Amino acid sequence: MKASYNWLKDFVDINVSPKELAHLLTMAGFEVEAVEAIDDDAVFDIGITPNRPDCLSIRGIAREISAILGTHFKDISVNIDKEQGKGPDVVIENPELCHRYSARTVSGVKPGPSPEWLSRRLESCGIRSTNNIVDVTNYLLLEIGQPMHAFDLDRLEGGKIIVREAGECDSFKTLDNEERKLSKDVLLIWDANKPVAVAGVMGGQNTEVSSGTVNILLESAYFNPSSVRKTSRLLNLSSESSYRFERGVDLQAVSIALDRAAQMISELAGGRISGITDVYPRPYQQRIISVSLDRVSSVIGIDIDESFFVKTLLNIGFYIKGDGKVRAVTPPSYRNDVEREIDIIEEIARLYGYDKIPATLPVMQMSPAPEHKTQALVKTLKDSMVSSGFSEVINFSFMNPDSLDKLNLPPGDSRRNFIHIRNPLRKEDSTMRTTLVPALFNNVSMNLNRGEKMLAFFEISNVFISTGQKLPEETIQMAAVYHKGPVSSLWQAKHDGFYDLKGALENIFATLNISNVSFIKDTSVAPYLHPGKSGNILINNEKVGHIGILHPVVSESFDIKGDVAVTEIYDVASILKAVPLKTTYVSLPKYPYIERDVALIVNDEITVSSVKQVILSIQSDIIEAVNLFDIYKGKPIPKDKKSLAFSIRYRSASKTLTDNEVDELHSEIIRKLQINLHAELRS
Amino acid sequence: MLNDLHSIKEAVREEAEKASSLQDIQDLRVRYLGKKGLLTSRLKDLGSIPKEQRPAFGSLLNETKKHIEGLLEKQEGLFKSSELNRSLQTQQIDITVPGCFTPWGHLHPITRVLDEIVGIFISLGFTVEEGPEVELDFYNFEALNFPKDHPARDMQDTFFVSDDVVLRTHTSSVQVRTMEKNTPPLRVIAPGKVYRCDADVTHIPMFHQLEGFMVDKNIRMSDLKGVLQLFILRVFGSRTSVRFRPSFFPFTEPSAEIDISCVICKGTGCNVCKGTGWLEILGAGMINPRVYEMAGYDPDRYTGFAFGMGIERVAMLKYGIDDIRLFPDNDNRFLKQF
Ligand SMILES: [Zn+2]
Repeated sequence: MKASYNWLKDFVDINVSPKELAHLLTMAGFEVEAVEAIDDDAVFDIGITPNRPDCLSIRGIAREISAILGTHFKDISVNIDKEQGKGPDVVIENPELCHRYSARTVSGVKPGPSPEWLSRRLESCGIRSTNNIVDVTNYLLLEIGQPMHAFDLDRLEGGKIIVREAGECDSFKTLDNEERKLSKDVLLIWDANKPVAVAGVMGGQNTEVSSGTVNILLESAYFNPSSVRKTSRLLNLSSESSYRFERGVDLQAVSIALDRAAQMISELAGGRISGITDVYPRPYQQRIISVSLDRVSSVIGIDIDESFFVKTLLNIGFYIKGDGKVRAVTPPSYRNDVEREIDIIEEIARLYGYDKIPATLPVMQMSPAPEHKTQALVKTLKDSMVSSGFSEVINFSFMNPDSLDKLNLPPGDSRRNFIHIRNPLRKEDSTMRTTLVPALFNNVSMNLNRGEKMLAFFEISNVFISTGQKLPEETIQMAAVYHKGPVSSLWQAKHDGFYDLKGALENIFATLNISNVSFIKDTSVAPYLHPGKSGNILINNEKVGHIGILHPVVSESFDIKGDVAVTEIYDVASILKAVPLKTTYVSLPKYPYIERDVALIVNDEITVSSVKQVILSIQSDIIEAVNLFDIYKGKPIPKDKKSLAFSIRYRSASKTLTDNEVDELHSEIIRKLQINLHAELRS
Repeated sequence: MLNDLHSIKEAVREEAEKASSLQDIQDLRVRYLGKKGLLTSRLKDLGSIPKEQRPAFGSLLNETKKHIEGLLEKQEGLFKSSELNRSLQTQQIDITVPGCFTPWGHLHPITRVLDEIVGIFISLGFTVEEGPEVELDFYNFEALNFPKDHPARDMQDTFFVSDDVVLRTHTSSVQVRTMEKNTPPLRVIAPGKVYRCDADVTHIPMFHQLEGFMVDKNIRMSDLKGVLQLFILRVFGSRTSVRFRPSFFPFTEPSAEIDISCVICKGTGCNVCKGTGWLEILGAGMINPRVYEMAGYDPDRYTGFAFGMGIERVAMLKYGIDDIRLFPDNDNRFLKQF
């Protein structure tokens, strides 16, 4: 709402500068966003909150200023000089949607340009001047906050007004020359035969006031706020009028605005004013609110003085009855936002000044907080990934449904059960994501394009799977990607990113004391992974996620050059389940260990874990650990074979082992490896 | 005899001081303390001394031996350490070669700020609650006193999934969900993602908020001021000025907007604060009795306050980030700075 300083001064004595006034208004709940100097005036741009439609007017803001400054409020008084004849015929067919309709005609007007003071005031508040009749209606809209409309009376068939819903009438041409599609329950203004305005939103072209207009009918009404809002949304048409009707105009000011408009028009454009027609089927109901002064004090946290309470409410137009600690308060008709005691408390707090309320700390009983385990786990996961070299990304929860095709997901895949957003900003953002990876791949691709190298990202966020219920299932997932790229520094490592990523996961599991983790090859793991370089992640033999190198075709479709390692944990809560409830100390070994190495030459398809299995299958309680320390391919090892070197640690819990005992067992292990895996010893 | 021992002591001292290498000291040791050394030969003379004088002479001889040993050891130590120093001086490395690669990642700045804020409230006894991001219209709007077809809904551009399902526009949706499950006293914070149908230079369609609320008997608006003031001074430093001014939210009454003195210009006015010297940082208020009714609480029995803040905004002010679109962009060069 734009408000002119000079115009405000018509209503209230202001003894402070515009800048000071702007500050005071802001601190009273009317945030002044800008003050613009125009000639000898200053125009305030004030943010009016939806609960204060009364301040969508100069008169309303002036009333607040008078309460803030404690200066005199000069209300308008209207005297119509001379009335001639009776008012026009008005029928309200649906009083629920139109609580009041008042009208007068003005005959013999001469439309023409407005005087300069009038057009300047309108323009300072952002409304273009057209002619002295329309300008007056707009002037009243700004001054009193009452939207008004002037019809060309000679184009109103039967010279009458009927307020009725659209019914069968399904389209209507508004003032802005647009043909508007209507629905049955849109409230219209009709003459004897045809619609002439969309009630509260915009007039029609068929009865518009033009330069040739001689007689006019002035409308001032109260339309049901939610009905006007529905219509305005349906027509996608918001006007200064609908904006005010939606929020609620002052039911009692409807006729005051009409009288003032008629009087101003007859002064500026000539003409004779008819008597008034005031159809008022739903009269204003006064509210009486019981307010306890003790409650006011205890909610705000101050001792409210009785005289301050009374003076403040009187200043903003409220009526107070009774005495003592509980008062009966009646808000004025323009304060339709005030319905309960708490609304009165707010008025008192606001005008007392929030800055004067002390800052105290509440006294509260201690109560045990429920443990939020998932939150703590998410924090542990994030910290662990960060310490493994991964940076956290946070992507939008939106997903381009096409990206599921890029991932080669088959038709029945659960990740295709996504939910749609009805009004997305872009088609690419029209669904809620069911997987985190497409966004991570885009992060890699974008960063590679910007010249970044060695990209290690992870995200822990919700995915949304539609289950046919009202709300989708929301699951916290974790995904990580690693694009190592060609490494050309001192610290070059020979393997690809897979093992770095696997190492990061192993860090997590170690941090959480989860021991029963296995990585199992499975060709059907995920259709977007390299079939030879991927597998499932199992905890306690239950599948919790997967890891692998991205399929080269998929990499290409995401515009990524080079290998990307990727892992996904489908449900972070599943990890929580595997965290041991308690940690039990195992006493430190008393006797020294003996280590023996073994280097084997095996066929390429023999896995490290199958070697370990053979070793650990030997019934012995002195094998403490088996650690891989080298993998080698190349000369002099035959082409389809590789060398694996392990170090085996032997220790007894009850005595110091002798070399002989260990050598015996070690030879047995080697024999078994030779038999079971056709392994040869590498010399 | 005694004089003889004394002169040996003196001679060793003089020679040790003159020694120029470890070898010289070792030679001295052989010469005096070795099998054929001067002192050792005196020991052999012990037999030629009268019996009654032997013990005294013997102990004197021992004392002298110890003294000489000490002297030589001390001198030897000096040589050893200077020799070690010399050899260390020759083992120079280039300390300007970059350190070996130790992988270290970075938390997203939003997580960092959220962690800090959540930590402050947990230290004040608040607990963390969560709610769904795809939310029923009821919890996001209706229960918070935003009736359907009410202009207050215009304050938030909403993404719709269906007529009664939305992407939550604020974390305030957690309020009634939490109240339904618990009884006061409540001290709750609810961090999370929220969505608004709005994207331009200063808006992104998904961002983060933290909602907090407290419900008990006798919670006053002054308590709201106290708690939030304490919080703000922790996050933005103790020299920050805080300003509370009236505002409107359907679910709080009275409602307040909380400004802090501009972190850029310290209140003198700049383009970040649009010349006002103040930055809006929090929305807050006393919980509207209508919300208690929706949650099944007795509004005459309980009072409380609620507040909400945008985390991106706090992060921007804390780190001096001038473009909100950097947060969802996830540029490695940006992430690496936190
Ligand atoms: Zn500033």
